[in-house]
Amino acid sequence: MSNNTTEIGTVKSAIAIAKDGSRLKAVKLRKQNGLFEVLWTKSSEAGDLDWKAFELECSLAAESTEREKSSDGKMVVAGFDSAGVVFYRVDFPTVSEKEIAAMIKLQAESRLPLPAEQMQIAWRADQAQNGKVPVTIAAARKEQLLKFVENVRGFVPEKILLDCEAIVKTWRTFFSKDGRDAVVVSMTTKNTQVCLAQNGKLSNAVVLDTGTEDLSQATQDTLILRDPLLTDQTETIDRFVQDIRSVLELFGYAGPTDLPVFVLSDDSEAHEVVVSSLKSAGLNVRAAFPQIEKLDARTRLHPADIYEYRVPIGLALTAIDGDKDRLNIFEQLYLSPSEAKSKSRLDSTKAAFAVAAVMLVLLVIVAYAVDVAGTGAIEKRLEDAGLGSAIKQLTERQKLIKSVASQRPDLLDLLNQIHTSLLFSANLDFQTDLDKGTIPEELMQQFEENKAPLSQRATVSVEQAGTKWLITNRLKKYSIRKEGSRLKIYDTTANAGITLDKLDFKMGRPVSITAQTRNAEEMYKFQKSLLAIKGITDVKIQNPDMDKKTKKLKFTMNFHYKSFTQKKKGTSR
Amino acid sequence: MRGLNQREKRTMKFGVACAVAIIGFAIVTNHLGKWKAARSTTTEIVKTLDAINVKETERARLMSIVPVFEMPKKEEVQKFLFRDKFNEQLKKAGIKSEPLQILPASASKSPVAGYGLLRLKCSAKCRFGQALDLLADLKDNPYLAGIEEFKMECDQKKRQDVKLDITVSTFVKK
Repeated sequence: MSNNTTEIGTVKSAIAIAKDGSRLKAVKLRKQNGLFEVLWTKSSEAGDLDWKAFELECSLAAESTEREKSSDGKMVVAGFDSAGVVFYRVDFPTVSEKEIAAMIKLQAESRLPLPAEQMQIAWRADQAQNGKVPVTIAAARKEQLLKFVENVRGFVPEKILLDCEAIVKTWRTFFSKDGRDAVVVSMTTKNTQVCLAQNGKLSNAVVLDTGTEDLSQATQDTLILRDPLLTDQTETIDRFVQDIRSVLELFGYAGPTDLPVFVLSDDSEAHEVVVSSLKSAGLNVRAAFPQIEKLDARTRLHPADIYEYRVPIGLALTAIDGDKDRLNIFEQLYLSPSEAKSKSRLDSTKAAFAVAAVMLVLLVIVAYAVDVAGTGAIEKRLEDAGLGSAIKQLTERQKLIKSVASQRPDLLDLLNQIHTSLLFSANLDFQTDLDKGTIPEELMQQFEENKAPLSQRATVSVEQAGTKWLITNRLKKYSIRKEGSRLKIYDTTANAGITLDKLDFKMGRPVSITAQTRNAEEMYKFQKSLLAIKGITDVKIQNPDMDKKTKKLKFTMNFHYKSFTQKKKGTSR
Repeated sequence: MRGLNQREKRTMKFGVACAVAIIGFAIVTNHLGKWKAARSTTTEIVKTLDAINVKETERARLMSIVPVFEMPKKEEVQKFLFRDKFNEQLKKAGIKSEPLQILPASASKSPVAGYGLLRLKCSAKCRFGQALDLLADLKDNPYLAGIEEFKMECDQKKRQDVKLDITVSTFVKK
């Protein structure tokens, strides 16, 4: 709803259109400082129920409405004839709204005259009493509601309301000073609406097909006959009174009751007869006349006009007051312009970009906060714990240890590997047997698989229990060493023909080995065995020379060992 | 009092927008600086923690190569500590060496900033087994940084006798 705020307070206005009997009626109502002002009223000819024509008459075509709305801050509402709406009043246990909704769905399926998919329902829960929540359920045929929506779509109403709710609203505002619980009877020429108001809200309604036209005829008959015996009731009045009684029974007031019945009246003769007939039937009936105290003094409106336009006035009042808990039976069938606008706003690309931008800004702010606060907190905690300097020392120590590890070659391991040749490795299962001086069958098999079969005479000697053993097989000797989680088997006689003369290692330079052997074949074999050692690369033979005296082949081999022999950047050695 | 016309209103709006933009820019720039500093501090802390908190396997590897380590001291102190420990290791291996020669620390040869590399040169004649024993014991020297040079030459007549030249290094604090 749009508001215009001026220096004299908030101004709200609404145009309401409703079918009232055989006419369409419209009013423009304005509320200012608690007072109402009827700005104009319009009514179609009797029997003329063409909504589109009436829109034009009221200058409510979509274009003009939008234009007017922007300048005037008003809204348009339409009233739906409750004749096609059936009401139920059901008590539910005090549970959540979600559970009530589920129960209503079940109730509706069992009570509705048509399948649930053909019906539209709306419900409203009242205040709980004695552990029960009374719920008003309104149901109507979906097809009928859609047809109505099509009729009124031309002037894009902001709301579509039930006319019986409008009647209760008008009754409370203009016909009653403090009424909350009552039966309100509103008569048109063709029919009569009987509405049950509880706590000031509509809780049930029934439309009777007897109108003032029928009753006027009956009244005239009674006046013409002037027969004291026949003036009590005519057949029509009798039937009407009976109908009212049935309605009250339907509302849950079967016996004599103090519940007041208000007949909205313009002080016409027909109303007088109705009131007196109902009174004679023992009902607590009184006529309710329009009160114009709540109308602005500038409004030149007669009380009869309020009666005449009671339905559209009620609609406009509901719209202006912004009643949220109305029975909105059109909720799923009609989207008001403002709802559509807000929905389209939410669906728009701009909105998506705006949300994305906001999220991005939030992300940046959160990231900033986390980074700044987090870093500060870590620093503070480290300082508080006195770890600042300790961490510095630890870092430095770690850096130095890493540096030491990178420049400490295991020359002992290198010498071992040069002298021997790794045959294969095995798991630690054989340790116990080896310590006992026996060679397990499985280990013998592994020797065979590695092309070094052991004879039955092969012996094992323990050099160091649990870690070092020596197997002697004829001329061959195999050293078994525990290295980490494996046993490594070396052939110590693999390079037996090689006599090492010299080993020269210097950081940043290839390792140089000078040795002698009997022939070139053994030299090549030695080169191959070096290349098989992990970490040794680029083995080159240099200066092979046969010594004539000793008849031995002297040679030098250069190779790289891990990263120790590579030139390092930034350091000169 | 005369109200503002459209042009004046527009000027006012533009002025306010500019003022807001200037203030916003100043605030944002200030906070961006803080953010940048905070992030670099975080990165430093993470790097520091990464350096300390090495993986179990890497720690085991380092421990097998460097089982003991003492933080380096100033050259005047460190050189004696290192020399004495190395001498002790020579004795343990049964190697009688020529006097150890200390080569002064050189910062340019050190791979770690803030530390120099002091070298100790040793020449000796010993048995092949004694040389191996020395090599086996070296990693237990907490001051040892690395083996810079290792030269071993067997005697042509007595194959078990070797001439040994070894240069070992230690870090010294600068």
